[in-house]
Amino acid sequence: MALLVLATLFTGCVGNGGETTPTPTTAPSVQSISVTGSTTVLPIAQKAAESYMDANAYADIQVSGGGSGAGVQAVCEGTADIGMASRDLKAAEKEKYPDLVQYVVARDGIAVIVNPAVAVNSLTIEQIKAIYTGETKNWKELGGSDMTIVVIGRDSSSGTREFFSEKVMEKADYVSTQLEKNSNGAVKQTVAQTPGSIGYVGLGYLDATVKALKIDADGKSVEPSIETVTSGDYPIARTLNMFTKGEASGLSKDYLDYILSPAGQKIVEEEGFVSA
Amino acid sequence: MRRQKDILIRSLWFATASFAVLSVFFIIFFLVRDSIPLFQTVGVLDLITESTWNPTGATPSYGVFSLIVGTLLVTLGAMAIAVPLGLASAVYLSELAPPKVKAAAKPAIELLAGIPSVVYGFFGLIILTDWLRVTFDVPSGESWLAGSILLGIMALPTIISVSEDALNMVPRMFKEGSLALGATHWQTISRVLVPSAISGITAAVILGMGRAIGETMAVIMVCGNAAVIPDPITNVLSPVRTLTGTLGIEMGEVAVGSMHYSALFAVAVVLLAITLIVNLAAVAILKHIRSTHGAEGSGRTPLLPANSGMAVRAGLALMAAVLVFVLFPPITALAVLASLAVLLVAKDRVSPKVSQKIAFSLLWGAIAAVLCVLGIILLYIIVNGLPALTWEFLTQPPRDLGRAGGIFPAIVGTLYLVGGAIAFALPIGIGAAIYLSEYTRGGNRITDIIRTGIDLLNGMPSIVFGLFGFAFLVIFLNFGVSLLAGMITLGLMILPTIIRTTEEALKSVPVSVREGSLALGATKWQTISRVVLPPAVPGILTGTILSIGRAAGETAPILFTAAVFSKRFLPTSVSEPVMALPYHLFVLATNVPGATKNQYGTALVLLILVVAIYAVAIGIRSRYQKNIRW
Repeated sequence: MALLVLATLFTGCVGNGGETTPTPTTAPSVQSISVTGSTTVLPIAQKAAESYMDANAYADIQVSGGGSGAGVQAVCEGTADIGMASRDLKAAEKEKYPDLVQYVVARDGIAVIVNPAVAVNSLTIEQIKAIYTGETKNWKELGGSDMTIVVIGRDSSSGTREFFSEKVMEKADYVSTQLEKNSNGAVKQTVAQTPGSIGYVGLGYLDATVKALKIDADGKSVEPSIETVTSGDYPIARTLNMFTKGEASGLSKDYLDYILSPAGQKIVEEEGFVSA
Repeated sequence: MRRQKDILIRSLWFATASFAVLSVFFIIFFLVRDSIPLFQTVGVLDLITESTWNPTGATPSYGVFSLIVGTLLVTLGAMAIAVPLGLASAVYLSELAPPKVKAAAKPAIELLAGIPSVVYGFFGLIILTDWLRVTFDVPSGESWLAGSILLGIMALPTIISVSEDALNMVPRMFKEGSLALGATHWQTISRVLVPSAISGITAAVILGMGRAIGETMAVIMVCGNAAVIPDPITNVLSPVRTLTGTLGIEMGEVAVGSMHYSALFAVAVVLLAITLIVNLAAVAILKHIRSTHGAEGSGRTPLLPANSGMAVRAGLALMAAVLVFVLFPPITALAVLASLAVLLVAKDRVSPKVSQKIAFSLLWGAIAAVLCVLGIILLYIIVNGLPALTWEFLTQPPRDLGRAGGIFPAIVGTLYLVGGAIAFALPIGIGAAIYLSEYTRGGNRITDIIRTGIDLLNGMPSIVFGLFGFAFLVIFLNFGVSLLAGMITLGLMILPTIIRTTEEALKSVPVSVREGSLALGATKWQTISRVVLPPAVPGILTGTILSIGRAAGETAPILFTAAVFSKRFLPTSVSEPVMALPYHLFVLATNVPGATKNQYGTALVLLILVVAIYAVAIGIRSRYQKNIRW
């Protein structure tokens, strides 16, 4: 009986595959492309795909995550039409895949966040670096209350971490007891519930459960926001990219054009990122 | 003619049994192939003895010693929790539970296996780590202990289900004989039933350990992932990082072809080497137990020789000690251990009746604890998920990144994936089990290789299947990210569970039944198909149920092989990718701000789906079971 149920399930999907009569949803005019890679860029790609498909009934845009590296590889191996990356191409990738074309779809500010129980409101880049290298271990050294600093970072292959390493750490090594998380959401969740913790996330992840620190530079305190990233005042900002193998064509081109159009860039801002 | 047909059938089963070995070979080949560049620059010895893992530092360093230590510690801790609790629960269910309690508790525990690891992970991240942080007054609860508790819970259903089946298979006459000789029920359980079922119980522990070593998603969320060795080594509140965790969090973003990429494949190779060592050790222990235990069949003796019984007991005592230390602060732990020791010394002076009372209340306590944990996790998901559950949610495609709309395509996609995985793995798994159990009495070199292959496949972490599926099915065979690649990857992952449970089920059919059938002139295949297989069906179903639970909830294997976050139309062929519930949940929970409500809704639907599948299978199993009496 269970076998029967399972067999039905299986033949069900295989049977669909063998069907030759076109149904309304699988009309021959359907065009599909797949977009894969960085989970940071995923919200932009997905929201734009939804809105593009609403206007174009023939389009089937499949969006998936997996990470920047997976995205770059997928587009080169031909398993995806568009790859997403929250970083620029690395030397190894440029060498291996010379014909990739880069499209900058958005900019992203990286906000340094702390648990709301932390009394400190702003730090300099040097102070943040000292925390992340393990030199500063207690909030009282920075004018806060006597509380151990719990350092939370991203995994060593995260595009966000790489950017943080360049802009803030100047390539110095992280303290070995740093807790490593594999996503923006996990960093925010941990910071929200751990008193004394510090982490960094993309602008889209800011909400009331965490406190975003202002960055002290040249006598001003700059808070992370779309305005300050756009104006160039906020020092920790990067680009978010999409890649195609060779120049984009067909549906890929239309879709990328849409993201770069004013309507697409409005979506970028709605998702908490900064238009390119 | 009859003979030829039998040979043909034998060859067919041999082929299915060899399949596991072939898969292992391919998996190892693809992992090693991509890790060679690293081994050329770093060297095997440096890789495993160096403790600094910093692949993106100014001067990259690729030492995995701390990761190896982390993996072993977390697994050890998980087993210290899961083995005593699991075994006690299995004994309770098999021997003590009133029928009504058993009827409710058994499926409830199997349900634990169906909770996806992503859900466990988020439960762990939000509830468990916070509880540990407050209880032990540490800056962060993300630790070795958190990982061990979570993995222990995840390994429990496997250990309980398989141990209970093993206990149920002990012939009734052993128990009746012992009771007739005047032994108490507890003496019968502890000295006759458990030792007789020891091979099945060991299999249960190995399966549970495989689950613990191989878990990725939950570990990532609760262990802290700092690549440090706890200082001191017994500091259970130190963050740790496991080999699987490293693969899980770094694989996606790494540049393909870079040294870091090679290093991750090297990590996978080290992981496989460890699972090989652990599995071979387990197999050796099992062999030792079997040889001291007496041959199968007529010469079978129910009692373990005194010394090996001591070893088993000492092992259990050690695990209990670790468990106590893990669960209580040091002073309380010492007190608990001291009282246990007093109990142990006083044991001989206590009347059998009193010690039975104490033992039974401990067993009851164990199963109560397990059900309590289940209750808390379920309640948490239901309370948070119920508000999201609307008709629209179940029948609509997602909108606004899954914050609005529904999850219909993900539900269908999950059904397709699981159905395909079972359709792929069940025939091969049952065939392999038939070959191993019915055609290889005594065993030989080829059988040993096949068994090792299955053990290796079982110990392989799900993330490794994901990497292999991507490298081999998606890229090499050019299937692309597709339903087919996902089905095969998941199918490979659940294959060893199906083989093992089927084999145990076949073994439980008394040899005399086969002899009787053969003596009446039936061919080997007639005997197997009409006499041996039917009574083994409940056991096979148990394995299938566990597999369905696992396949439906896994994220890592489908991450790179089958799943997309969104897709407008349902798949019309197996070469298309699909949406899947666990992956949808993973992305919603970690990458879409403001989707909390639908995240729990998705978790609840996934749970309900698994419950529905389980309910069907459990119903069938109990119908079959009523008809079998030896």
